Amino acid sequence: MMQQLKLVRPTGKTRSIRVGNTTIGDELTVIAGPCSVENEKQTMQTAIAVKEAGANILRGGAFKPRTSPYAFQGLGLQGLQILQKAGKETGLPVVTEVVDPRDVSWVCEFADMVQIGARNMQNFSLLKEVGKAGKPVLLKRGMYSTLAEWLNCAEYILAEGNPNVVLCERGIRTFETYTRNTLDLAMVPCVHAETHLPVFVDPSHGTGKRALVEPMIYAAIAAGVDGLVVEVHVDPEHALSDAQQQLSPDEFGRIMQRARKLERFVRQTWDE
Amino acid sequence: MELEMIRKQIDAIDTKIRKLFNDRMEQALLAGKCKTKVEDRQREAEIFEKLGNNPYTLLDGDFLTELYEKILAKSKEWQSRSPLLIAFQGEHGAYSEVAARSWNPKCVSLPCKEFSDVFEGVKKGVYDFGIVPVENNLGGIVSQVNDLMIHTELYVVGAIEIPVKHCLVACPQTDYREIREVYSHAQALAQCRNFLSRNHLLPVPFYDTAGAAKMLSEKGATNAAAISSELAAQLYGLQVIKESIEDFASNRTRFLVLSNQQNPEPGSKCSAVFSTEHKSGTLFAVLQQYAQAGLNLTRIESIPNQKGSYAFFLDFLGSIEDPAVQNVVEISKQITTGFRVLGCYEEKVL
Repeated sequence: MMQQLKLVRPTGKTRSIRVGNTTIGDELTVIAGPCSVENEKQTMQTAIAVKEAGANILRGGAFKPRTSPYAFQGLGLQGLQILQKAGKETGLPVVTEVVDPRDVSWVCEFADMVQIGARNMQNFSLLKEVGKAGKPVLLKRGMYSTLAEWLNCAEYILAEGNPNVVLCERGIRTFETYTRNTLDLAMVPCVHAETHLPVFVDPSHGTGKRALVEPMIYAAIAAGVDGLVVEVHVDPEHALSDAQQQLSPDEFGRIMQRARKLERFVRQTWDE
Repeated sequence: MELEMIRKQIDAIDTKIRKLFNDRMEQALLAGKCKTKVEDRQREAEIFEKLGNNPYTLLDGDFLTELYEKILAKSKEWQSRSPLLIAFQGEHGAYSEVAARSWNPKCVSLPCKEFSDVFEGVKKGVYDFGIVPVENNLGGIVSQVNDLMIHTELYVVGAIEIPVKHCLVACPQTDYREIREVYSHAQALAQCRNFLSRNHLLPVPFYDTAGAAKMLSEKGATNAAAISSELAAQLYGLQVIKESIEDFASNRTRFLVLSNQQNPEPGSKCSAVFSTEHKSGTLFAVLQQYAQAGLNLTRIESIPNQKGSYAFFLDFLGSIEDPAVQNVVEISKQITTGFRVLGCYEEKVL
């Protein structure tokens, strides 16, 4: 499987990927925002808060692939409109998940980057569509997928002519049930060794527990991660999805200050 | 589910009713221009008499009489207030109306079928002003308007340049995934060509951008969309699926405001039209005057006039009250044929 990879192979340097007004692959990029776009007020307030805290890209789900068909499914088109507006008003580029191949071109009209969620990692027709669409792609690791399977999915997108793929480790299923998933931080150096693509870590889904997000952010930075995906909600207790793992803006702001400090320290120490 | 569908129908009907009420008020305003006295008892009696023998089972005479008393009272109120009327070409929601509303929000904008109707109506005094597009930075000059400008006796009393923001609009019940065809004016379709092709949408030319929005609303079409202004979406009760779908961010149209009287206010910009003899250096001699007087030309356009002859449009920065400008205008009149200052005005740029 690893031997079949062609386009994702290392080139000696991590690829720089332009997303709106920010560049992934140079310094630590932080994607933050609510799990779901619930309404304009919640999205706008969260967007302003994460921008102030130093996030580089705003996230927010309009199409939610939920385990239960009765759980909140997202606002759809209206969610995309709200997210784009929040991005414009805060000056943050936006990333959002696409779940249906028919929606890819539409999502690209509203977002600066599209996300392929863990549950859709091997949805090959979806991968081909985002490969053709031309917007940068945030490819999350499937919760049952090996590194080789994950990288082959990135290969699918590159093979369609879209070189701008960012990989994101978000935890895998193991026998451990204390955490929602087992965050596989070893993937950060593994992806760097096997590809030239930037790799992110999502400690929110990776642990499913608010208290674990902070230490995992620092661990990911120490492991050399290119960016983070953190769920932040103005009122986490009342979030319509992922209430257990979303940070409040205050928590996020405090962690961000320490994270940036740690990143500088790691960078300087490595350069010495 | 069924109640929801019925309510959507009701919302669509309400949009139409409001549109018809507004259309009626517009006609009342125009009628006001034709009568000497606001109140006309005989006409009112006629209207109420017609209400008496109505064939609708759900609308009884008392209800209709009450309703029409209110409508007539409002009509008369508008007639007494006699607001300034500004005519534009196209359907309600056209970009010309967007420009008219931005130029002076106090004016009431009224639609005309053709550009010539705008010119004619202003000349006759039916409308206080007319607003017409002269040029678009992507599409070039609007030739019909420029042709009419050559011979018009009207004055230019204002100008406004607005950004053209095309929206993809559709009926509220439309699922964006079901959209196949997109109706609009050919120029709007051309300005959104990349957007349409990216989303596999088929462009269908229509006579007007706002007209396309109106048509969708009337048909209740669910597999089609239109490209129009946001104003058109509001007027016809449509949802805006995506704003700013034009391929080039800078899409601007410049409009002139016409009147049958000279601008009473001082202005900072002038528009003129003239022709020159077919001799070497005649146009140069005119332009030289402006260069020597230090007047900045903001527009020079040549339009084929009669056979072999051209009309030149000249816009320059300066006030007609400035002696230097008056001097150049005098010289221009001597060395050209048919030199006319169309007007001196303030230009708004949004």
